[in-house]
Amino acid sequence: METFAILADAATLADFAAARQQMAFTLGFHIILASIGIGLPAITLLAEWRALRTGDEVYAELARRWMKAAGVLFAVGAVSGTVLSFEMGTLWPGFMDTYGQVFGAAFAMEGIAFFIEAIFMGIYLYGWDRLPPRTHFLTGIPVVIAGLMSASFVVTVNAWMNNPRGFTLVDGEVTEVDPIAAMLNPNTPVQAAHLILASLMVCGFTVASVYAVALLRDHRRGRPLDPYHRRGFAIPFTLGAICAPLQVLVGDWAVRHVHEHQPIKFAAMEGIEHTGGGQPFKFAIFEIPGALSLMTTFDVNGVLRGLDSFPVGERPPAEVVRIGFELMIAIGVALLALAAWWALAWWRHRKGRRDLPYRPWFLRIAAPAGVAAMVAMEAGWTTTEVGRQPWIVYGVMRTEEAVNPSPGLRFGLYAVLAVYAVLTVATISVLRRMRRRPERAQERPRPREVEVVG
Amino acid sequence: MSYPDIALGLILLGLSAYLLFGGADFGAGLWHLLARHRRDREVIEHAMGPVWEANHVWLIFVMVMTWTAFPPVFADVMSAHWVPLSLAALGIVARGSAFVFAKAAPSRAYAWVFGISSVLTPYCMGAVAAVIATGGSSWLSPAGAYGGALTTGLCAYLAAVYLTWDGRRLDRADSAERFRACALVSGTVVGLIALPGALTLGVGSPLITASALAGVVSLALLLLRRFLAVRVTAALAVATVLWGAAGLADLDLHAVAAHDAVLQIVLAALGVGTLILVPSMIWLFVLFQRAPERPAA
Repeated sequence: METFAILADAATLADFAAARQQMAFTLGFHIILASIGIGLPAITLLAEWRALRTGDEVYAELARRWMKAAGVLFAVGAVSGTVLSFEMGTLWPGFMDTYGQVFGAAFAMEGIAFFIEAIFMGIYLYGWDRLPPRTHFLTGIPVVIAGLMSASFVVTVNAWMNNPRGFTLVDGEVTEVDPIAAMLNPNTPVQAAHLILASLMVCGFTVASVYAVALLRDHRRGRPLDPYHRRGFAIPFTLGAICAPLQVLVGDWAVRHVHEHQPIKFAAMEGIEHTGGGQPFKFAIFEIPGALSLMTTFDVNGVLRGLDSFPVGERPPAEVVRIGFELMIAIGVALLALAAWWALAWWRHRKGRRDLPYRPWFLRIAAPAGVAAMVAMEAGWTTTEVGRQPWIVYGVMRTEEAVNPSPGLRFGLYAVLAVYAVLTVATISVLRRMRRRPERAQERPRPREVEVVG
Repeated sequence: MSYPDIALGLILLGLSAYLLFGGADFGAGLWHLLARHRRDREVIEHAMGPVWEANHVWLIFVMVMTWTAFPPVFADVMSAHWVPLSLAALGIVARGSAFVFAKAAPSRAYAWVFGISSVLTPYCMGAVAAVIATGGSSWLSPAGAYGGALTTGLCAYLAAVYLTWDGRRLDRADSAERFRACALVSGTVVGLIALPGALTLGVGSPLITASALAGVVSLALLLLRRFLAVRVTAALAVATVLWGAAGLADLDLHAVAAHDAVLQIVLAALGVGTLILVPSMIWLFVLFQRAPERPAA
């Protein structure tokens, strides 16, 4: 429908900017919840598995707590995800009109995976007292698998937007579609791996942060460290620490991939102004001559394309992309160092020489790791999304061709900002209240329906 | 039958399921807001427990199917009605999170947010549906207001009907009786709103007859306190309203349908998905109808 292309010119720039900000904001919000939705069931299962193996009540208690938090966050993630599917149409009808069918199959599969995840989440949550322990543990496994699959299917769509294929375009009309080719575009494996590792890191370090603070409080009050807090820290932090080095490797793969497939995004990320050989590696104020060329092409004099080799109208906002990229790298390296510290402590602990580093100075550094991982994830997301601009479908459709031509989109943005601000405050306050209420298994009141039915 | 026909059938099926299950959740939110007795609210909370997340995906299913199978229809509807649809989306956010928050850490404020958003969301969706069905322009037009009010009423009626059985199942005869009264009143009111509208707009007569009959039978079953049987007839009475509206819209979808290659893959994926989904969903429902067997310590 070409009416969109014509009408799109009528939408004011403020509305266009508002649509982009709304999408970025709601996606950035959802991505955090989705990460926790992937990671939290995984660490819950780790704790439950330890509880089954050891019969240790502390692990069972951790699993029960995390499961409840996962239930709450899953619900918020489900609604914030629903908003995104509305926004696909209310904000980007031009995009959906032309390309909805090309990537639609991926969303259908994502929907199925999400449905399975939701159902097993329900079974897992409500089966706690209704199923035998081993069966209950097993019902958690589909939650994790379906969560990973659902994330991967969604990523295929973003990967496709960065590397579109699987369709033929004749006069702006999609004439032939191969949905599988669209899903299995070259960006999919690297983006999926990068996002899943990022999710596990965000979740692992964030949950660990909560217990790092609790352990610091134990220290301050001069009490022995609560085993509940120690394990609550150790399980998720170990998960994050295992992912950190893997993420560095995948990140390197991702950068090389971008260099090959989206050279302009690469130029923006690395801040290459002019095409030429022997590009220096620049980071903040540091500069190593020839290093970027060496790292990318394995040749100190290797030629890399700069922003100047692309028409002005096709360049992304390079500063935003570069800052996002550098922020992600800086945090990634810091988390890697923290992971190495933990690994070393673990190794020495196994050899019986030292205790795990539950000392205040380690905990003080570990406590902000959760927030840092979130920032890194958002920065990385900004890098890839802003780096794709001005295209919504790289090289094929410009973002302004896709936007809803209706006036007033900015008021939608204001409403969304207001509702999400309240939602964020409420979510955090609920999680804090849940944390305060003691829920040791033996103190739990009998479930209500027992009084009612029996 | 062509692939677009199957896709359309599935979309209608998804919409019906969303109305019958998700709609009842909205209605339950309304009754939760209006309930004077704590016991009634407890029945509502208990009945909605694990189901809402599962019910919710019907809507996502409908949207994904529409944008995949009929991309221009999705683009047109969503962009033209972005205001009420954005309100509905925010209503879903407010409702879903308020419900789960209230459960995790009770507070009066959540109950209010939950109740109000439970009315706002079906109203907005019903208004959009009516505008599409009648070929109108704005959700604020009389047709939109009619559709919004009717949809909200249908949801309230369904919820009251379902809750009568939940009240009995949970051994709360007094709650069941109050929900029965709600169902009788809301059923009568909704019937009186729906029938003249359907006749004026020229909905296909077999559907009107079916809906009216099912509605009358439902009222009779409620009077007889046949709380399980009335679930079926009430669902039929409500679903026929949706089908009538869909028939009224009479969209020519073949011209805008996606390529067969797309629809084949989507249908295959749905087939495989169903094989996993249906048994797990049955398990969830069975599990939930059962009291704990492993009481804590």
